[in-house]
Amino acid sequence: MKFLRTVLMASAVGLAATPALAQEKVIWWDFLAGGDGVRMKALIDRFNEEHPDIQITGTTLEWGVPYYTKVRTAAAVGQGPDIMTYHLSRMPLGLSEGVLSEITEEDLQNAGLSRDDFFPRAIEAASGEDGKLYAVPFDIHSIILYYNKSYLEGSEFLDENGNLTGIDSLEDFERALALAKENGSSAPVSYSTGDDGGVYRVFFTLLKQQGGDLIRDGEVLPGDSLGKAATAIEIMTRWTENGWQPEQAEYEASVALFTSGKAAFHLNGVWEVPTMVDLEKEGKLGFEWGAVQVPKLMEQQATWADSHAFAIPQQTGKEMSPEKRKAVMTVIGWMEKNAIDWADAGHIPAYKPVAESDAFASKEPNATYSSLAETAAYDPRSLIAGVASPVYDAAINIISPAIHGYMEPMQAAEQIKSDLESKQR
Amino acid sequence: MAMLHNRRKHVAIAASLVAPFVATFCLVFLWPAIRMVELSFTAGPLIGEGTWVGLANYKRLLTDNLFYTSLKNNGYFVVLTVVPTTALALAIALAINRLSGRLQAAMLALFFLPYILPVSVVTMIWTWMLDFQFGVLQPVLAFFTGKPVPVFKNPYWVMPMIAVVTIWWTNGFNVLLFIAGLRNIPQELYEAAALDGATKRQQFFRVTWPLLWPVTALVLTLQLILQLKIFDQVYLMSGGGPFNSSYVLLLMVYREAFQLNHGGYASAVALILFVIIMVVSVLQFQVLKIGGRR
Repeated sequence: MKFLRTVLMASAVGLAATPALAQEKVIWWDFLAGGDGVRMKALIDRFNEEHPDIQITGTTLEWGVPYYTKVRTAAAVGQGPDIMTYHLSRMPLGLSEGVLSEITEEDLQNAGLSRDDFFPRAIEAASGEDGKLYAVPFDIHSIILYYNKSYLEGSEFLDENGNLTGIDSLEDFERALALAKENGSSAPVSYSTGDDGGVYRVFFTLLKQQGGDLIRDGEVLPGDSLGKAATAIEIMTRWTENGWQPEQAEYEASVALFTSGKAAFHLNGVWEVPTMVDLEKEGKLGFEWGAVQVPKLMEQQATWADSHAFAIPQQTGKEMSPEKRKAVMTVIGWMEKNAIDWADAGHIPAYKPVAESDAFASKEPNATYSSLAETAAYDPRSLIAGVASPVYDAAINIISPAIHGYMEPMQAAEQIKSDLESKQR
Repeated sequence: MAMLHNRRKHVAIAASLVAPFVATFCLVFLWPAIRMVELSFTAGPLIGEGTWVGLANYKRLLTDNLFYTSLKNNGYFVVLTVVPTTALALAIALAINRLSGRLQAAMLALFFLPYILPVSVVTMIWTWMLDFQFGVLQPVLAFFTGKPVPVFKNPYWVMPMIAVVTIWWTNGFNVLLFIAGLRNIPQELYEAAALDGATKRQQFFRVTWPLLWPVTALVLTLQLILQLKIFDQVYLMSGGGPFNSSYVLLLMVYREAFQLNHGGYASAVALILFVIIMVVSVLQFQVLKIGGRR
């Protein structure tokens, strides 16, 4: 009896403690499980603290096909989230599935944002064929070239301040790799050669730097792009043959090769910047490092890039109330304006007031490589491209084994073309 | 009249006993299966209605190179697994059958143990053992080939290695079936054969083999069906690569449906696989029955 009374009392107190004003609960889904996920959770916590009337409940799901399948199936039965992170490279498929709700001018106003606040390329990627906006870009992320200064000391590749210099062509870069090898680096350039993402991003960068197209007007590797793809594969194959890149390296191994000081260079996404920063702070890195935009190795400057964005799912049989929609847009607006914290995860904010702020300009190494945003090469707008798409499958299925010598570069390029074209029908 | 009443009652009881099963079967198997057949004639997405396109999906299938590659790989995998695993299980069962008491139970448990593991654990174990950089089996491979082999990334090694893993994983169940079959053969037959001067070899081919044939036929058929449905191991260990050399039909179904949202086309592939499994297994069982009657 005493117990029952305690329980009753407790529930009464509990009820009284609930704030009287209606609190909007916002269900949030993301795929950010790495170092950037920690920073995103901190942002969500801060938002919840600052907004007693809006409560975000976040769930992190598995990146890639599992995430996007779940989004689609959940939206179809009205069980999706109120807000979700979305890759802009995935927009064409998302639009064809009809899972994205239009972001109207009114929505943007509620968030305190406008289209002009963002980099035009990001807005373009977030819009449908009809010119309407279906997502709000949050960042631009790309691959960058990390380097370990100890292998380059005293050479032409470091300037008086100890920064990387003098890499203006493929020949320069390969000379630097050969030098690093001589200086004892067991993997002069490390990237995840046995993984879809790592291989794809390097391949696409090399293709774009030659001015090639992966998909144009529905044709895969049109015209001379086929030959350019073969050239890109040939270069990557040569790096294997000369022992410059690790064989069949999985993602974690490719990062470890750099952080343990075995690799002179590392081609990877900006999202590993926090890893290096943290290790250096703890004094565990053991060498001086730097990061720059991937140098112009071929004819023109270009780097693979993608964006994280926020989107609102279009749910069947579940209309979002105007109040909730406003709350969701408040969340998006707040996140954009606090994107400087997201830059700690290496990303370049897509929101210009932050990207062009003094706070960002003084944030290193972001400021050094942020110029890449101007020549960023997004994935082609296609139903078969983007994160976890057949294009990524082709990277692990064809390009990765080809650069390990199991197929001639030209033959591999032809197989990419025929495989992807058959998926496109 | 009483008889009739009784029979009616019998029927009613029987019907009420099978009703739960029939209802469940219709709800979770028959109905989805019918819907899938319907879906295969549409250009539908994974969820929702699609427009009727008649036989277009099937026509497209006939011109899809990946379909033929997958079909060939399915066939290759069946060749690599079905007969070898049956022969191996028989050999192990014969060996275990000669043991007795605790030792026999222990050996049987040892061979059965992998079978109780979920596929994800099995593939974790093997990808770890065969890892290119630090796999414990790589020195063994290096001893024979001269250098480490990235087995799941090499177009020639990938299918045989997946077959080895699959046999290691599923063989225990076949051993169990064979043991049961062997125990069903009366001991007197062997005694009589021995009295007539039959050698061990003759005993095996004249007594064991023919009497065990129904079990062998069953194992072969079960294996054929199971191995045609290969998906998990491929998905988890090689993802269909390299160069599609381990791409199989169910992987194609998965990619079309869940990656590309082509519900109609995926259903068509699934239906074709279903028909293939049905035809092949019925045919095989009939052939084996004839073989056994000789």
